[in-house]
Amino acid sequence: MLKCRTINTILFIIALWASPLVTNAEYGDVLMNNYSEAAGMRPVVFPHWFHRIRFRCKVCHADLGFKFEAGGNEINMLKIIDGEYCGACHNGEVAWAVENCDLCHTGKPGEPTQVHKSTTFKLQSGSGKKKAGSAQ
Amino acid sequence: MKSQISSLVCPARNKSNTIPVVLLALLATTYVVTAADMGSGKQVYDTACVGCHASGVLKAPKLGDKQDWSKREQQGLQVLLTHAIKGFKNMPAKGGNPTIKDKEIEVAIKYMLASSGLSQYAQSGQTESKTAQGGKEDRSSSVNSFNRLMKSSDEWNLPPSEDGIHDPDNGGTHMLQKPKQAFETLSSSKSGNRVDWGKALESNEISPRYDRLDDQVKPIIMDLNIVREVKGSMPDVVYPHKQHTEWLDCSNCHPAIFIPQKGANQISMAGILLGQKCGVCHGKVAFPVSECRRCHSKQKTLKTAGKSEPTN
Repeated sequence: MLKCRTINTILFIIALWASPLVTNAEYGDVLMNNYSEAAGMRPVVFPHWFHRIRFRCKVCHADLGFKFEAGGNEINMLKIIDGEYCGACHNGEVAWAVENCDLCHTGKPGEPTQVHKSTTFKLQSGSGKKKAGSAQ
Repeated sequence: MKSQISSLVCPARNKSNTIPVVLLALLATTYVVTAADMGSGKQVYDTACVGCHASGVLKAPKLGDKQDWSKREQQGLQVLLTHAIKGFKNMPAKGGNPTIKDKEIEVAIKYMLASSGLSQYAQSGQTESKTAQGGKEDRSSSVNSFNRLMKSSDEWNLPPSEDGIHDPDNGGTHMLQKPKQAFETLSSSKSGNRVDWGKALESNEISPRYDRLDDQVKPIIMDLNIVREVKGSMPDVVYPHKQHTEWLDCSNCHPAIFIPQKGANQISMAGILLGQKCGVCHGKVAFPVSECRRCHSKQKTLKTAGKSEPTN
């Protein structure tokens, strides 16, 4: 039991340091940092709440093919400009177009890809297993 | 599985040792920042408003000029607040200082109104600032304060620039919609976004599109409840297809997450907490797993409860 407590103490400190428990992000905010920072941009914040006011889940997750996995869609700007993923709407017709870089790339530098306030991430953060929380 | 469960259980024990120390340290830092930030109406005025409102430059209503201010005040405080926050004519949004919180703007406006002879604001400018500040002070200064590790309601739904994941140094961050504004008219709940999304949709508070382009397309609703008997003492689960097909397409869940066949799906709370099955959405975007009774909603008859007892 002592060992379990020690390990958990360490995990908790790492979890707190990694910050998912202390941010005030909205539930379901997805932070994506697969390629952004490596390319010199801020990470992307996708606010689920904003989009679900305007679209049902089906539009993105069935019609546009977004997998239920944060960072699991390998989205890049080429695909977006070609009208895939975010680019299906962010094309200047349905929603504002791609030249508004700083409306998506709004994340704090150094943040890892994750769904904020996610139970899975809270339980696993710091242990490096967050991929296991993905859809299937 | 055992180790999973123990790791789910242990953190709670462990909280009593580590969290208070770390959180107190964090709270202490947060408090210093917020106290400096909040200030009274006068403090906010001195930092952000004095530049124009002291001299009346650019047609800004001048502090102390009752005529100037009562004209503005007649439009209602809400209008003044909106103008100050979003900008209006020569008035830049938040006086050109985007780090100021909406509440501070309000306190500053009341301070200016009160100082310009509109006595009805004399109290409120001060009291508001005291509660805004004092509320926090009470929570962190008294060791035995009630729910001291819980967020107070003014810490929910913070604007992007204060939520800890958006970069406040990025110009676009300040153009994003603020959750609190968006949620104002929506049914509330106690968890997640503090919005009851199901109710908001049902009562037409929101009308999200079912098609990317055509806002007339209606969802294909399937009204079929699936009851899943659970082994433990919790009430059985009623899964409503109706609420799910309002938002989703069949292909979102079937067959990859749930095999559409009775008895073919093993579901456990441990798996759900780890993001499997219902946990693909619940605990991430759909209402959190802390809302036990929204799924476990069918009370067992005494007989069934008795039968399931021995397995425990």
